[in-house]
Amino acid sequence: MSALTFKLIFERAQRVDCSPLSGNKLEGKTVAEIAALPLVAGRQPVTAGEVFEISGDDCRHIVFENSSDKLDFIGHGMSDGEITIHGAAGAYLGQFMSGGQITLNGNSDIYTGCEMKGGQIKINGNAGDFVGAARPGYKNGMTGGTIIITGNTGARTGDHMRRGMILIEGDAGDYCGSRMVSGTIAVLGGVGRHLGYAMKRGTLLLNQAPAQGISANFNDCGSHTLAFLPLLFAEFAKLDSGFAKVSPFSRVQRYAGDIGGIGMGEILVRL
Amino acid sequence: MIINGVSIDPTFAEAFPMKGTRVIITAQNLQWAMNSAQAFTGFATSVIACGCEAAIERTLDPSETPDGRPGVACLIFAMGAKGLAKQVETRAGQCVLTSPTSALFSGIQGEDGKDIPLGKNLRFFGDGFQISKMIGGKRYWRIPVMDGEFLTEENTGVVSAVGGGNFLILAESQPQALAACEAAIEAMKKVPNVIMPFPGGVVRSGSKVGSKYKALNASTNDAFCPTLKGQTRSELSPEVESVMEIVIDGLSKQDIDEAMRVGIEAACALGAENGIRRISAGNYGGKLGPFHFHLQEIMA
Repeated sequence: MSALTFKLIFERAQRVDCSPLSGNKLEGKTVAEIAALPLVAGRQPVTAGEVFEISGDDCRHIVFENSSDKLDFIGHGMSDGEITIHGAAGAYLGQFMSGGQITLNGNSDIYTGCEMKGGQIKINGNAGDFVGAARPGYKNGMTGGTIIITGNTGARTGDHMRRGMILIEGDAGDYCGSRMVSGTIAVLGGVGRHLGYAMKRGTLLLNQAPAQGISANFNDCGSHTLAFLPLLFAEFAKLDSGFAKVSPFSRVQRYAGDIGGIGMGEILVRL
Repeated sequence: MIINGVSIDPTFAEAFPMKGTRVIITAQNLQWAMNSAQAFTGFATSVIACGCEAAIERTLDPSETPDGRPGVACLIFAMGAKGLAKQVETRAGQCVLTSPTSALFSGIQGEDGKDIPLGKNLRFFGDGFQISKMIGGKRYWRIPVMDGEFLTEENTGVVSAVGGGNFLILAESQPQALAACEAAIEAMKKVPNVIMPFPGGVVRSGSKVGSKYKALNASTNDAFCPTLKGQTRSELSPEVESVMEIVIDGLSKQDIDEAMRVGIEAACALGAENGIRRISAGNYGGKLGPFHFHLQEIMA
């Protein structure tokens, strides 16, 4: 069996909703049946065959070639299998996914891993705003799984995040961890302004102190050796990520906040 | 059967099903992990009055523990999962949570994913400041305490186990019986998945079922008491002056088989010239439990 491959025929002017093309929705379908699947491009109904040149038959391993940032909802609701994307990905990559792995060799648009429940998204590039966040008006962002970003993220990373891990090897944008309910965001590079804004619980683990300092909404709890960090780094070591190469540390400066709210979140800065 | 001049009785030890779990206690150094583990497994020689049977299984290198610190593996057994859960929780709360620098982890996967709480309810000690962390699919609790944070896994697995494996060492004198027991325990400690829950692994007060007193359901095993040789239906020959028992709990019958084999072997190695005369075992006519450990089969 060869990977089921969707090769974008030409760069679309309008956004394409690719949510019907997740592996679990394609099981048992022939290439012809898949090509006949209705998609929406902008406001126009199209078929998958009009957008993609389709080949292969292994719906557990899907490949998008010539992908562009106009392709939204790739991996929507996937529960297992693997998706590899060559090129950029649009908004809502891996939305609602509960298992499996998405590997993006390019940059992703907004809402990557939106409300995901499990599985892993690895972005070999940058991610847009609202990584692992909740949709506007919804209260829970990602509730499980891992998102690894080798580059940088936009604003509001982990907004309303409830569980799971977001690992950023580059820099995180403004409002990282905003309104976070729980979970872990780790950043190897720098962070933007308003770190942990309105954060309720959860952990922001920083490999380096923020250039602009810690917000006044976080109180310094002192320097500590925390026993859970070796376990976290042992978990990082299993990942295909720059985090696996970070020498483990358990000595951190702990800041608790956002004290404008319940103040149960924490920022841990490597010492 | 005779090994090195020591007679192996044609009898069997009788054991019963239990539920068990393994926990791992780590600390800044082995001494403090051991302090905590000794408290955790204290007063846990017999389910008859202690509610559980527990002991230290072995010490662990930093490379073997979840948090990379020195640790101690403890096995704890009870008659059912509910009783086990109560004992684990109480002991963890009073003996591990309280112990400086300690952390507590599950050391075993439950059968069919069956778990009992480990730190699940201890977290409330954190008075709202406790923090949950999901790492590698497991939930941990970080409970703020005066020396920093107490880290504990939320649950530990429950498995079916076997309790009450045993053998008796019959010797010409008390020091000789004890020396044989010490040699046996030293060898048995190297066997994984078993514990010998009595003090130093040895029991000198083996019991029989029933008593002349209605309130008691167990009493001294008079048939093996050397001072009663002329007063009761004794199992002892004139030259036997002391009997000691080693009780074994294990995660499986095979584990107890192996522990009994190495223990009896070590006791017999001292031989008749050191006053070791017989190896026997305690059973209740096959009515107590489904697990029978036939001494001569084990030593064959």
